Amino acid sequence: MTKSTRLVQNLILLVFALYALVPVYLVFLAAIRSEADLFSGPLTLSWPINFNNFGRIWSEAGFATFFMNSVITAVSVTILVVLTAPLAGFAFAKMNFRGKEALFGLFLAGLVVPAPSVIVALYGNLQALGLIDNRIGVILPQAALLMPFSVFMMRTVMQDVPDELIEAAVMDGAGLFKIFLTIVVPVVKPGLMSLGLITFLFAWQEYLLPLVVFQTESLKPLTVGAASLQGRYGVDYGGIAAAGLIAFAPLVVLFLAMQRSFVRGLTAGAVK
Amino acid sequence: MLTTRSAYLFLAPSLALYLLFVGLPILQIFGFSFFDWDNGIAGDFIGLANYGRLLADGVFWTALWHNAIWVVLTLAFPLLAGLVLAAILAERNASVVRWLGAIYFIPRTIPLVVAGIIWGWIYNPIFGLLNFALEAVGLGGLAGAWLAQDNTALLSLNVVGAWTFFGFCVIIYLAAIQSIDPSLYEAASIDGASWWRKFRDLTVPLLRGSTLFLGLYAAIEAMRFFDLVWVTTQGGPGYSTEVLTTHIYKTFFLVGDFGYAATLSVVLLIIVLSISAGAFALLRKS
Repeated sequence: MTKSTRLVQNLILLVFALYALVPVYLVFLAAIRSEADLFSGPLTLSWPINFNNFGRIWSEAGFATFFMNSVITAVSVTILVVLTAPLAGFAFAKMNFRGKEALFGLFLAGLVVPAPSVIVALYGNLQALGLIDNRIGVILPQAALLMPFSVFMMRTVMQDVPDELIEAAVMDGAGLFKIFLTIVVPVVKPGLMSLGLITFLFAWQEYLLPLVVFQTESLKPLTVGAASLQGRYGVDYGGIAAAGLIAFAPLVVLFLAMQRSFVRGLTAGAVK
Repeated sequence: MLTTRSAYLFLAPSLALYLLFVGLPILQIFGFSFFDWDNGIAGDFIGLANYGRLLADGVFWTALWHNAIWVVLTLAFPLLAGLVLAAILAERNASVVRWLGAIYFIPRTIPLVVAGIIWGWIYNPIFGLLNFALEAVGLGGLAGAWLAQDNTALLSLNVVGAWTFFGFCVIIYLAAIQSIDPSLYEAASIDGASWWRKFRDLTVPLLRGSTLFLGLYAAIEAMRFFDLVWVTTQGGPGYSTEVLTTHIYKTFFLVGDFGYAATLSVVLLIIVLSISAGAFALLRKS
């Protein structure tokens, strides 16, 4: 590779790194600056870091509650998906049964279903079930909307489990559910980890469902809280920045800590 | 492979959840679309009359056009950027790949609601960084109210969409490049092929499957995205950033026209299903 080619390449890598990071840096900066010097001075970190914005948003604007709500919803959705999707993935990867193709096609079609289309009928159904303004009314539909992707990914993961392992266990007379728990699950643990992380990410980011289902302020998650803050506290930029940071920092940290597992999950459905 | 009826037991929990909260509503919107609705109560059966309204609904066609533009822009920019970045990274050492891969993906971890708020500031006509930067390099004449002008709003939003998506493309392409047999590149190098030739004649054709996958993914997301528009412009100014999902949302929650909202939902559903059926046919072939 010539020197100039390499120089151009490094430049491209750098420009996109800045594209990715500058907006994140700006929010960070706005969150830790005091209101007075927000629009003055260079775009460098001020010292000492000013935590007033976080304190104000956390206790006065209700973000402690929004944060807990995001945790509760995202964790519940994740548990629900991780308990159910692997079973279906196992059936699709390792079992023969009547209607298999059609049922898998049904899940496959769900991969592209737009949530706003579903909402038009789902909203009335949730009302009829008494689930409007109820956590269950977000958790169940959210898990259902994530199900096609999760089942698809789990099928890919389960296909890598050696058939001999399962056959040997069947010979020994073990039940299928026992085989799943004692033989399959330990082998696919990394895949389950990836599924859990990605489900958690998507559930935490969800906006539309909680927006339409929750009316009570104390049930809303961070995404809805941050969006409404923008309208109510239009000029409190430091506060909104702190709120935004609270809404995404856990995801960034989680991603950086578990990068390998995330990437494995994201590519599981794509490459094969 | 085990032939067993207990497969249905394994499928039951996820299938039940999926059918109840996704499958059933989809059947219902088909049904809703054939009725005249008044205040959330179904009235007369009106056949295809709601579908006839589509033809005269200018907002629907504007929204559809915006979705189409969004599809094209997403296929053009983030996919291409992802491909080039992945091809460059493939020849760098593991720690560079790990770090840059992570940095490029960080925007994808940020909820779109928050992404919209952040970029709303960058585009702000009074204190936004974009105008500030343009003035600093002497291009102050280009400065504007990016999200408030109807000729720049959609494009400006697309830059935000691309921001959250290109890192995903890098990761998918990188994984695919790493599974290509390295001896192909070695042979090309021995023949004296330049980086650009290897990129054009080896990388691009060999990654066709990933490109199809990402293209499908991007097209579907471009048809059904909602959060980003809703927290920034809500379809405005005027209808300059209206998309199908915001049109559905407004028709349903603000106008309360259940029948027509359902009709729009059916149309959107049919579009995304057709796109994916087409892409699957292509994938099967290759």
